[in-house]
Amino acid sequence: MKETPLSNCERRFLLRAVQERKRLDGRQCYDYRNVRISFGADYGCCIVELGKTRVLGQVSCELVPPKPNRATEGILFFNLELSPMAAPAFEPGRQSELLVKLNRLIERCLRNSKCIDTESLCVVAGEKVWQIRVDLHLLNHDGNIIDAASIAGIVALCHFRRPDVSVQGEEVTVYTPEERDPVPLSIHHMPVCVSFAFFQQGTYLLVDPSEREERVMDGLLVIAMNKHREICTIQSSGGIMLLKDQVLRCSKITAVKVAEITELIQKALENDQKVRKEGGKFGFAESIPNQKITAFKMERAAVDTKDVEEQAEEIITKADPPSEVFTKPILHTRGTAQIGEGIENAWGDLEESEREEAAEEEGETDATAFECQKMEMEDTSIMNETEKDEPIVLSDSEEEEVVILEPQDTPKKTRTQTNLKQENTSKKTFNKKRKKKRATH
Amino acid sequence: MATAEEEEDGGGGGGCCLRPFSCEQGLLSRPDGSAAFIQGDTSVLAGLYGPGEVKGSKELPDQAALEVLLRPKVGLPAVTPRLGRGGGAQREQLIRRTCEAVLLGALHPRTAVTLVLQVLSDIGSLLSCCLNAACLGLLDAGLPLASLFCGVTCALRPDGRLLLDPTARQEQEARAVLTFAIDSADGKVLAATAKGSCSAEELQQCLAAAQRAAATIFRFYRDSLRRKYSKW
Amino acid sequence: MATAFKTVEPLEYYRRFLKENCRPDGRELGEFRATTVNIGSITTADGSALVKLGNTTVICGVKAELAAPPVDSPNKGYIVPNVELPSLCSTRFRPGPPGEEAQAASQFIADVIENSQIIEKEDLCIANGKLAWVLYCDIICLDYDGNILDASTFALLTALKNVQLPAVTVNEETGLSEVNLKQKNPLIIRKHPVATSFAIFDDTLLIVDPTAEEEDLATGTVTIVTDEEGRLCSVHKPGGSPLTGAKLQDCITRAVTRHKEVKKLIDKVIKSIQPK
Repeated sequence: MKETPLSNCERRFLLRAVQERKRLDGRQCYDYRNVRISFGADYGCCIVELGKTRVLGQVSCELVPPKPNRATEGILFFNLELSPMAAPAFEPGRQSELLVKLNRLIERCLRNSKCIDTESLCVVAGEKVWQIRVDLHLLNHDGNIIDAASIAGIVALCHFRRPDVSVQGEEVTVYTPEERDPVPLSIHHMPVCVSFAFFQQGTYLLVDPSEREERVMDGLLVIAMNKHREICTIQSSGGIMLLKDQVLRCSKITAVKVAEITELIQKALENDQKVRKEGGKFGFAESIPNQKITAFKMERAAVDTKDVEEQAEEIITKADPPSEVFTKPILHTRGTAQIGEGIENAWGDLEESEREEAAEEEGETDATAFECQKMEMEDTSIMNETEKDEPIVLSDSEEEEVVILEPQDTPKKTRTQTNLKQENTSKKTFNKKRKKKRATH
Repeated sequence: MATAEEEEDGGGGGGCCLRPFSCEQGLLSRPDGSAAFIQGDTSVLAGLYGPGEVKGSKELPDQAALEVLLRPKVGLPAVTPRLGRGGGAQREQLIRRTCEAVLLGALHPRTAVTLVLQVLSDIGSLLSCCLNAACLGLLDAGLPLASLFCGVTCALRPDGRLLLDPTARQEQEARAVLTFAIDSADGKVLAATAKGSCSAEELQQCLAAAQRAAATIFRFYRDSLRRKYSKW
Repeated sequence: MATAFKTVEPLEYYRRFLKENCRPDGRELGEFRATTVNIGSITTADGSALVKLGNTTVICGVKAELAAPPVDSPNKGYIVPNVELPSLCSTRFRPGPPGEEAQAASQFIADVIENSQIIEKEDLCIANGKLAWVLYCDIICLDYDGNILDASTFALLTALKNVQLPAVTVNEETGLSEVNLKQKNPLIIRKHPVATSFAIFDDTLLIVDPTAEEEDLATGTVTIVTDEEGRLCSVHKPGGSPLTGAKLQDCITRAVTRHKEVKKLIDKVIKSIQPK
């Protein structure tokens, strides 16, 4: 499905609102939307909601050989997916320009900032290291994907626990969570992206643009920063020229937002850890607010399965017993046999001459086998299929006319698979003939 | 999980339990219909677009073309390690054909309906959770349906006992795991798939149990919809 | 006249026949098409079989290779099935990467292998943790006229029955494997899974072994795989019309009968190629 285009009046309305320092959702220019973080039951799984934009993050790990030029470092892999669920215009499996851009930015924000200690991910130098894979799925697109994705990425990494390993000689033992508690990754700092939308060549500025605002903006500035006010990545796109002061002002705003978000992340992580430690309920089920009328919960429900056995028994006894009538297999040549006199393929019956040819080709002109097959055919078939004066039927497609090279009075041999040119009446009689023959059902 | 097993053993009397269910509808702003379905710790999010514009090659002249995408949490679709190669496609096919059986697609010819299912967490009975999320998603989008359906997973334990809505560990220990899609009209089987081998009697027992569990799940659907429309 | 009627109202055309308990191709509702099997069709494969169900033609070749067993189960080998539906077999398939139907069929075959334990994977292990057989089972459809699952399952089973593996020993001293091509052993086939497919017409009628045409007109399909003990190795109903438990039981009953027929056919064919 294509994206619904933005009409000119909508565009004008939005720009006018920006000029009047108003936003559609009632925010001030520098306001960030609400951030909500919920955790799944697995380690390293979280959903981040930034207003209505929603990103799912999941971290997983695997033991792999390291890259040859970095023998003592673990591998970090990021993959952001724009799920077709997020917006109708996103197609599955297509590497759009937007997607490539976002993935690059995520990598620069979370990998190149060296926020994860990759050396601690080394198990045996040059042989085995942990590969940490971060999968981010955009579930709902309401603007500012990059901020939501960067928060989801870092939260998932902080929440993740990898299995503990021990190395004895050359033997590497990976412990299950029951044997040894999984260990968290060592994280130096938490970079978070903050986006700024610029309008009218940078005259107006909005923090955390929504999807509508992104559609009418002139340029975008993304700053990734940690709570120590260190800039990890900065990127300006959309082809606008920014003054030094504007960038400085943006970085100051970023510092404030990042401090708030980092605090929120830490609180959320602590909360989840506390609940897990105390053995309370955790996971997505707990993150659904109870008071919402669109949400509903049901406690563990017992299902009465007492008399399922009787019910099953009843069905089975009522059913007809399996038929005892079987068709006998017919041996054509060595290694080729057939059952069923049902409709045969449209390749035509293996006429005797053809059969011989086929047998010759296989180098198996086994005369005795051939004789025996003929005999079997005769006692099983009522159709006199092996009669000598059989005509050769040539037909190579369903719609094709049937060519009979030898005259014949009965239509029995002309049963190509779905012979449409056959008259219905002759078909019926033919069917009746066949029905008498066998009753299997 | 320890508590789950205790309860399941303590339940006794041939009784089986479904894990706590929860759902939320209309939680995403972009899709035309969306629902999250949570069974115990297994959860699936469904988002649905349509009926809408259809691509030329997929257009059907007499009904809506339904497309189902099942997206795993880790890795690319259809090559997930747990489902194996082709496992994703097989499940997508099963869910799509189940939805097609109840969806009155003839009312919206030459349109496309896209149903995207995102696995949020998989701790057992994933396929039945996908089916439930799909049905609630269809309901939330307000698409015309002939009947509802729900997914029920049954596990046969090595001792022959039957278990409903198993966790991942119970699935692993089980001799056979059967998943059914049951329709709400008269409890018939819309879809069935099995892992492991079982006898015909066991299949019928599982089916009978699934039909009873379906009654509970349909009551859950009804209650959640009643709540959703309570302020109308 | 009949042709025109069929083109305009294909469903009604079928219904008229089904009302009389027969099908346009002359079969009864519960009747299979003629099943032909040729064993050892590909001389270069380690085991092969060609199966024809009416027009549907499927060939299966098994290729055995040596590899290190998986790390998590060092005493097992691998079986890698793959179903191909190339564009030559029907107009409904396009060239390129496997489509949904081919992927689903591959997964179905993989499930049947796993569920039925047709071969104990431990039997494929040669030296624990060091060497094991990998069986690549390539199933290629040559002519698609419906019921691909039954034909594929049957082709796989007969091809596996036809496999002759050379004896392999691991030399203790050098650690190298030695292949003795003169001494060949058949695989141990533990179970004989046989699939039986049904198409559901108008939500109630079950017809066995549907052709491609019937599959398109049907409102659903069911495939049941049984082994010789009558156990169900797979019950696969991917959506479609709803069925009652009793109807499902009828399918199982029919599948049990079909298994006996097919088993006899396999036995006969295997016996025919054994040296006397």
